[in-house]
Amino acid sequence: MQDKTIRRVVAFFLLIAAVLVVLAVQAVRNINRSVASSDWVNHTHAVINEAELLRAALYVGDGTLHTYILTGDPHDLAACREALAKVGEHLEITKALTRQEPAQHEQILQLESQVNQRTGFIGRVLAARQTGTPETARALLAADTGGTPLGEIGRKIQKLKDEELALLTERDHASFLQAQTTRWTVWVGMVLDMVLLGVVAWLIADDLAARRRVAATLQEANAQLETRVRERTTELAAANVRLSTENLERQWANQALEHQLHYNQLIVDSINDLVLVLTKAMNISRINPAVTHWTGMEPTELINQPLTRVVRLVPAHAGTEAPMLDPIAQAVKAGHDLRNQPALLEDKRGRQTPVLFSLFPLRDRDKVVGGVVTLQLVPPVAATKA
Amino acid sequence: MKPHILVVDDEANIRELLGQFLTDCGYRLTAVASATEALQAVQQAPPDLIISDLQLEDADGLEMIGQLKAVLPDTPVILLTGVLFDPAVVSDSLNGRIACYLPKTSPLAQILATVRRLLG
Repeated sequence: MQDKTIRRVVAFFLLIAAVLVVLAVQAVRNINRSVASSDWVNHTHAVINEAELLRAALYVGDGTLHTYILTGDPHDLAACREALAKVGEHLEITKALTRQEPAQHEQILQLESQVNQRTGFIGRVLAARQTGTPETARALLAADTGGTPLGEIGRKIQKLKDEELALLTERDHASFLQAQTTRWTVWVGMVLDMVLLGVVAWLIADDLAARRRVAATLQEANAQLETRVRERTTELAAANVRLSTENLERQWANQALEHQLHYNQLIVDSINDLVLVLTKAMNISRINPAVTHWTGMEPTELINQPLTRVVRLVPAHAGTEAPMLDPIAQAVKAGHDLRNQPALLEDKRGRQTPVLFSLFPLRDRDKVVGGVVTLQLVPPVAATKA
Repeated sequence: MKPHILVVDDEANIRELLGQFLTDCGYRLTAVASATEALQAVQQAPPDLIISDLQLEDADGLEMIGQLKAVLPDTPVILLTGVLFDPAVVSDSLNGRIACYLPKTSPLAQILATVRRLLG
């Protein structure tokens, strides 16, 4: 996978993780809020319930007071005292429940004072009935020195209840909005995560497709390269074979040439007649072993020496002493042969031997570049020497 | 199976070059330097073709060819020599004893073509 794609995928996964973290934090906060809200609702209901019980106990106490005044029955007295005891009990509970809420607690304290005045009055009426006549108790009851009337206390308790209910409604609305927000947050987060996962999936799929295309291209390039390598290898192998064959052919031609030269040299060297090769200036350039044999001179003594060093033509007319070399020079110059001319071969010690002189011009492309001289020993001499 | 060729020549470089060339061309080769070795080689592994020099150290090439033809009458013989003769004269004078005469100055390609022609 390409580095760029890896970076993108990692970035998207980090984004998805961040969304999940936000969702988790939101969920935890919502749970905490729900727990707190539930506690508050229970608490509020408890306050409302205690306030209601307080009011009910007050009304029961007031009602049983009137009954007891009429009947003087100890059971009614006990019922009244029990109701008064419950009033105190519910009042204490309500105080305790509102201790953390100053405004409500203040209301309860004010209510406590009024409730205590009322329960104190009821207690005094009960005592008057127990110790005196019913009329005395009635008169005391009619005077009603118990402070705030019971109905007023009941309305205050109702007001407290209404405020608590209003708070419950407000809290319920806030909880609903919070729940809606949480729902939206969760759904938006989920949708966002799904979209991000989709993008990641698309990125990976696109990268895989790109990799497949690259792999296919690479495979095709490799195949083409292999084909070219095979073709080139075949060409090189063919060229190698061709060069090898040419090399062998060249070696074969060289050896054939050397063989032929060697064989020609053997032929020349094997001739018993004296063979001398002349330059155009009539100097000796090459000899065969017979020359060395019959003159006693080494090749180094003869090479580049004039032909007259070893041979002279015999004059055609008797009495002529001077050697006749001009015919040889003329023959070379004109490119004519001289055959079997009488001549004298002179060896290293000055001894002269009669020979038959022949000259053959050396031609190179119609141009005379020298000559070949053969000296054939006169038969009696040759037989003697042999 | 590769055709078997017997090369008889007293010159080592000739045997080496010709042997390498014919081996590269797909032939199985036996190269010997003398007539004695040639007769032994023929008895050990009869060749499909013989290429022989004219001048050998221990015998005359034509005599050796006569002995080889006595053993292998149907085996073609190429006379490969540096002694220059007119090919027509050689073919006429040695008709029936050799299949072909080639100078040693002949290119290898010509020798190969002759070998292929004679081996069919």
